[in-house]
Amino acid sequence: MQRTGRSFAGRFFDGDTSGARAVTVTVEADALSVRSSGTLPPLATWPLPDVRALPSETSRSRLTLSQCIDDAVDGVALAEARLILDDPDAIALVRAICPALDRRDLAAGTARRVVWRLSLAAVALAVMLFVILPAIAGTLARLIPPEREAQWGRSVVAQIERFFGAEALGSLVCRDPAGQQALQAMIARLRAGTEVSYDLNVQVFDHGMINAFAAPGGQIVIMRGLIDAAEGPDEVAAVLAHEIAHVEHRDATRNTLRAAGSAGLLAMVVGDFAGGSVAVVMADAVLNSSYSRKAEARADAYAHTMLEAAGISAAGMSAFFDRLSRTDGAFEIPEFLASHPETETRRRAAQEFAQVQKDTQPALSGDAWLELRGICD
Amino acid sequence: MIDRISGHFHSAGGPLFWLHMRTAFLTLFTLGIYRFWAKTRIRRYIWSATDAGGDAFEYTGTGLEKFLGFLVAIVILAIYLGIVQIGLAYFGIFVFAEPQTEAQMIMQVLGVYLSIFAVLPLIFFAQYRARRYRLSRTRWRGLRFGMDHAAWGYVLRALGHLLVTLLTLGLLLPRQTFYLEKFMTDRSWYGDAKFRQDGRWQALYPGMRHLFVGVGILIACVAGGAALGLPALAAAGSLIGTVWLLFGLLHYRVYSFNYLTRMKRLKDQIALDVTLTTGRVLGILVTGALAISGVVLMGAAMIGILFASLFGTSLFSTALDAQALEAQSPGTIMLASGLTVFLYVALIIVIGGVSLVMITQRIIAAAVNTITIDNASDLMLVRQREADRGADAEGFADALDLGGAI
Repeated sequence: MQRTGRSFAGRFFDGDTSGARAVTVTVEADALSVRSSGTLPPLATWPLPDVRALPSETSRSRLTLSQCIDDAVDGVALAEARLILDDPDAIALVRAICPALDRRDLAAGTARRVVWRLSLAAVALAVMLFVILPAIAGTLARLIPPEREAQWGRSVVAQIERFFGAEALGSLVCRDPAGQQALQAMIARLRAGTEVSYDLNVQVFDHGMINAFAAPGGQIVIMRGLIDAAEGPDEVAAVLAHEIAHVEHRDATRNTLRAAGSAGLLAMVVGDFAGGSVAVVMADAVLNSSYSRKAEARADAYAHTMLEAAGISAAGMSAFFDRLSRTDGAFEIPEFLASHPETETRRRAAQEFAQVQKDTQPALSGDAWLELRGICD
Repeated sequence: MIDRISGHFHSAGGPLFWLHMRTAFLTLFTLGIYRFWAKTRIRRYIWSATDAGGDAFEYTGTGLEKFLGFLVAIVILAIYLGIVQIGLAYFGIFVFAEPQTEAQMIMQVLGVYLSIFAVLPLIFFAQYRARRYRLSRTRWRGLRFGMDHAAWGYVLRALGHLLVTLLTLGLLLPRQTFYLEKFMTDRSWYGDAKFRQDGRWQALYPGMRHLFVGVGILIACVAGGAALGLPALAAAGSLIGTVWLLFGLLHYRVYSFNYLTRMKRLKDQIALDVTLTTGRVLGILVTGALAISGVVLMGAAMIGILFASLFGTSLFSTALDAQALEAQSPGTIMLASGLTVFLYVALIIVIGGVSLVMITQRIIAAAVNTITIDNASDLMLVRQREADRGADAEGFADALDLGGAI
């Protein structure tokens, strides 16, 4: 079909004044020429490969054309002038003859800008998340007065208790007097050789989960499931020493402060789209485990020293990890493991430490151990 | 020459809804990165569906520039917000714990206010910059709109007006509304023509009347109920008063929008007129809310049916039946939880689409379709203005999650 020479009507805005002009557009050999009347020189001559259609997203039968240029302003590489077509035949003709109608042109150097700004933002975020926020959290955690920290820790423990289904506050706490005595004896034994700056408040909750928590300010919770799963007092003493280490290092306090800072940043980066909160929770969990790995290793080392000072064998810790790693890999990962990923490494560290220990005594006598196992009866 | 032109909004619900669905799922699958392009495409749709005197508006913003602006904002906000939030958490420990001395109490109150005031300036800054960006990316008849650089001046005034409004218990709200709008309008341009906000702030008081009525009902019924010993009167009064207050807030927004739009001038002569009614907006909100409730019910039923067919037990009747759950293989449980999360997210996306089509779009249509422009022939004299290279696009607004529906 002969296309050169065909013409159609349109509305033209020159991009300099706001007046609309009724124009005649003529298809020439390699360009569109726009004239307001036949005799005057054209208002615009656009080479066919340079003609662009503006994206509109609407299904309206209207096409707005412009010209691609190199030295464009405001983001899009388009000239200021606009040609508007409403006639379906004219639109079909333009679509047929302009080879790059729907191309989106980018200004020169765009790729370099994207890479540069992406790296800058990534570096700023990484420095905040991994250096500055942990440092501030560490400083602030040391500034909180211990009695204030303990008060806060008690409210955290109350929340944990409610989470595990306590109807009234304190209804999950195991209070068998003989068991309590055994527990206090174990704590006293651990504290005897090591200076602990907090008043420890250790409670056992009547729940089957194999787990233990250290809340801020010396508040420690051991679940009954952990005592049931342990095969001797040394294993419980090892876990207790580990939790005391978290208390002494103020890990819970520091972690809460740090998480408060990083949660806001992550939410900002991910944004508020549907499913965004799921992504934030996932990112936070990944971030958290990278912090906790360091804290766990530090707590283990402290626990080894504490056990040594108390004359208790670290073999209990090794045995406990061994039992946990055997259930590892099954579908149900014990909660105790979720933030304690490198069980095997930690087990071996405890075992090596235990091998050089001399003159160790069990953490509790056989009778006292039976009393502790009955603390929830 | 016709000297009056009118606005017209041509939009069908269907295409906008499917555009929302496509872009929202792309956003989900790209972990949020596509949201800048999604927002740009929705705006492009709304702008090009809007015309005045037969000429459509054009939105020239791009997703890429929004993304780049966001990256710049992140660098600044990461440092600022991270530190503010950690400070807030530190004071939070004091807030949760009961204060024991007066000094602790003062510290606690101070901490809360400091943290709020630390973020507020950024929010106002982002609001001004967002409006400036949208105007600079809007064209009509080939000429672009624009706004002067004055974001920090706006922040100072907005903080001052907010303080005055809070101190006068809201009595000077019209003053805040009027002067903040005037600050922005007086710095706005169409091509080389300047906008001007005329009018008086006192003229907004008639729009406050339902707010006063709502507060009156609340006070009268609660005080009366307490004095006469009728708790039922107090309860009924506070319910009616609250609903009236919400309606009053809506009425005030519509009233001030009408007044402020009618009092805008371009090139001294060109004037706008608009007659949006509160009843119309209320009707849109109520029908929109009904449509959303219907979608939520249908979605919940679908998730329930899925659970029932997978586990042979109803999610709703037995809460979490541990035995029924244990009888399933881990694979089924994983599949079901994955599917539930996906359906839940999909439901949120559909709700977003319904709200966009049934509420946002219809309110825009209601406003645009009643707008007329007088002395429109003067528009012929307007010429192009210099391009505005808004370096951060709407980065701050995106990062702080501002900007409302579109």
